[in-house]
Amino acid sequence: MTTTQHEPEQVEAYPEHFEPPHGPTWRLIFGPGLVRGVWVAGLFFVLGMLLVAGLRFWWGWDPVWLWDVILPIAGMVTAPIGFLGGIGAFDYWLHYISGRPTRPEDHSGHGARTWKDYFRVNTDHKVIGIQYLVTTFTFFTIGGLMAMFFRAELAQPGLQFLDSQTFNGLVSAHATLMIFLFIIPAFAGIANFVVPLMLGAPDMAFPRLNALSYWLLPIAGVLFLASFLAPGGSFATGWTGYAPLAEGQPLGQTFFNMGVQWAGASSVMTALNFLVTIITMRAPGMTFWRMPLLVWANFTTSLLVVIATPFIAGSQFFVMFDRIMHTSFFTPEGGGYALGYQHIFWFYSHPAVYIMMLPGFGIVSEVISANARKPIFGYRLMALSLVGILFLGFSVWAHHMFVAGMADWLRVPMMITTLLIAIPTGIKVFSWIATLWRGRIHLTTPMLFALGFVTMFVIGGLSGIYLGSVPIDIAASDTYFIVAHIHYVLFGGSVFTIFAGVYFWFPKMTGRMYDERLGKLHFWLTFVSFNATFFPMHYIGLRGMPRRVFDYDEAFGDLNFVITIASFVLGASFVVFVYNVVQSWVRGPVADANPWRAHSLEWQVSSPPPIFNFDEIPQVVGGPYEYGVPGARHAVMRSGEAAREVQHA
Amino acid sequence: MTSHAEAVHGGHEHHGPPPAHKSSRVDARVLGMLLFIGSEIMLFGSFFTVYFFVRVVNPDAPSEWPPPPYEFPVFVAGINTAILVTSSFTMHWALQSIKRGQRSAFLAGMVITFVMGLAFLLTQVIEYLHVGFNTGDGAFASVFFGLTGLHGAHVAVGLTLLGMVIIRGFRGHFSPEHHHGVELPGIYWHFVDIMWIVVYSTVYLL
Repeated sequence: MTTTQHEPEQVEAYPEHFEPPHGPTWRLIFGPGLVRGVWVAGLFFVLGMLLVAGLRFWWGWDPVWLWDVILPIAGMVTAPIGFLGGIGAFDYWLHYISGRPTRPEDHSGHGARTWKDYFRVNTDHKVIGIQYLVTTFTFFTIGGLMAMFFRAELAQPGLQFLDSQTFNGLVSAHATLMIFLFIIPAFAGIANFVVPLMLGAPDMAFPRLNALSYWLLPIAGVLFLASFLAPGGSFATGWTGYAPLAEGQPLGQTFFNMGVQWAGASSVMTALNFLVTIITMRAPGMTFWRMPLLVWANFTTSLLVVIATPFIAGSQFFVMFDRIMHTSFFTPEGGGYALGYQHIFWFYSHPAVYIMMLPGFGIVSEVISANARKPIFGYRLMALSLVGILFLGFSVWAHHMFVAGMADWLRVPMMITTLLIAIPTGIKVFSWIATLWRGRIHLTTPMLFALGFVTMFVIGGLSGIYLGSVPIDIAASDTYFIVAHIHYVLFGGSVFTIFAGVYFWFPKMTGRMYDERLGKLHFWLTFVSFNATFFPMHYIGLRGMPRRVFDYDEAFGDLNFVITIASFVLGASFVVFVYNVVQSWVRGPVADANPWRAHSLEWQVSSPPPIFNFDEIPQVVGGPYEYGVPGARHAVMRSGEAAREVQHA
Repeated sequence: MTSHAEAVHGGHEHHGPPPAHKSSRVDARVLGMLLFIGSEIMLFGSFFTVYFFVRVVNPDAPSEWPPPPYEFPVFVAGINTAILVTSSFTMHWALQSIKRGQRSAFLAGMVITFVMGLAFLLTQVIEYLHVGFNTGDGAFASVFFGLTGLHGAHVAVGLTLLGMVIIRGFRGHFSPEHHHGVELPGIYWHFVDIMWIVVYSTVYLL
């Protein structure tokens, strides 16, 4: 980088349409950035407050200052919009709306030259990917601390140091943060970094939309956390927020209703961006059947997100309207239909399980194939099984409602479709195992996590088959067996794949190598303590311990104590990961462009990749997994060839 | 900005990214808009689902809809429907005009479309004020205000987009070669219109 001839403040990236104001203080306050974000958010909060109060005054409604209405509008709609405007997410569009001439994008908003650039609106997919990952791991830490907090409470029967509403609030916020602020967006972060590179594209299709969808995410996280400050405590109805229970809850529930809207909007916009990128920006020769499975996985996941997410938006709108506007969508007294909530909610939230799983399937396919030095077994079926899960995923939602009192005739069809999902999932598991068969297996840290994922996911999948069967589900519903199942699928499944992905692409993202010994230590600590935490839950669940309770029978005391100790070891294992990542990022050994000798396109450019990924778009000539196949190539890097020819000439 | 741009690109060999390969004949922006509309249809879908639940699945649903003495203003909303559907044709006329390079017809078409959309929205506000029931008056009112309100919000977004086109149009933008900025809001506007026909048939007529 030849930046020395420029003044230091020019080194930071500004979007192309922004002319820096004069003077450093002036620029700090009025230039796009967090400072302007905060004061514009404050300004918009006041405006929203005056809008609500003004309208209420005009219509002559009695309490003009009604915080139950002012907070959702001013605090959760206008203030976040002000924040987004303040940090500069809308600068280009405001410029466009005002009718000024469009300027060709000069890409000055790309890349990060100082750490400060990570706190700005940045249109570079690689910067956004890292922004996503750092943000989501921050929320992972917070959500994990919450879990340790209520595990401490559960170490003994009886109420120790929490009250019941706080306990329920912690459990709900733990699940909400882990799902909406960790697993879903962490996959979006990895995909943001990797997918355009894998496709041979210089960036995502809509870079400014990409930046906006990242910045919607912290808003959702802050709303979920701020609910703890609300009178009456945080939302305490579980992450499912069932109506009509949620409708009589204190103000904290509204934070959940609105937080989900922001997280959902973020996820829909990213998904849309992925779909358009994958369809329109593939390198020449990159047919659908030559795409790496990670791209396939994100293609199907994005379809799920675009189709399903509006349903959770709808369900939370209805609950909020019932709470604030006295409608009766789900209140039987007013003629509403309470069970409708669960149908609408699970019509999103069951596909959401696959939104939280399919990108992990993609990551694991990459890791296992590269580390077993073998072509992935059954590439086309691997891709088609993703599509199969996409379709089947929409037909199983009511298996969450076997005991909810829904129509009896729905049970068996839902059971059959649920069990059918074992077929595409089984194809994937057997294909991974067949890929390993007689491969030259390198037990690197990402590979360990991938193998850990396959084993743990099989356990979670098998208990899923139990729970998909109506008779067993009726017996096991609302017990710790469910808690064990969900954690085997989402921790042993999704979180392991996120770790695998972060370790696998760490050298590509940072240009430095992580510490392999610490990585292995992290894996074994996590793997053992994860099983020690969640495996006994199968047992106490089948013995009859109900979930979501702060007090339980004395008979479960010993095992719960063991679980609590194990969960603290699990928490401690994460410290190893954080230390490894931070230390390696700052002063780890410089990584090669292709430490795994992998074939897909992101490994054919430097680590970290150049600012526009490729000097010239590569030509794809074969499949991405032809390990050990003589003469096979995935792609020809054109400018490299050209440069060499020039040298020879 | 040139020195800055050089700093960004590190060396002097490149001035920006290589042009991305177009792997599909579909325009990225049109595809993005269509996918967004797909997502919007699902959002309306969730509102239609809750309508279906409270009116059809719910065993306690009233036999007459809306339950007397309430009535939906079918006639006023019908006139409103006519206004909105007509505005789709004027939108199409505006787009065709700019494609043929007829600026004044394009601008006239856009302004007429915008005014009709605004008339629709204001009629709906007045309808709300005189409809004779409020959000708290039962499930029929919930789904009525839910569906028409959701649609009204979409009309407002559509009007914002049309307003953008008008401002830029009067400032001399758009030409027979460059009219994506007209086409995309147009697609959205047609979606809003078609969705209204579905909402009107479901809420008022069924």
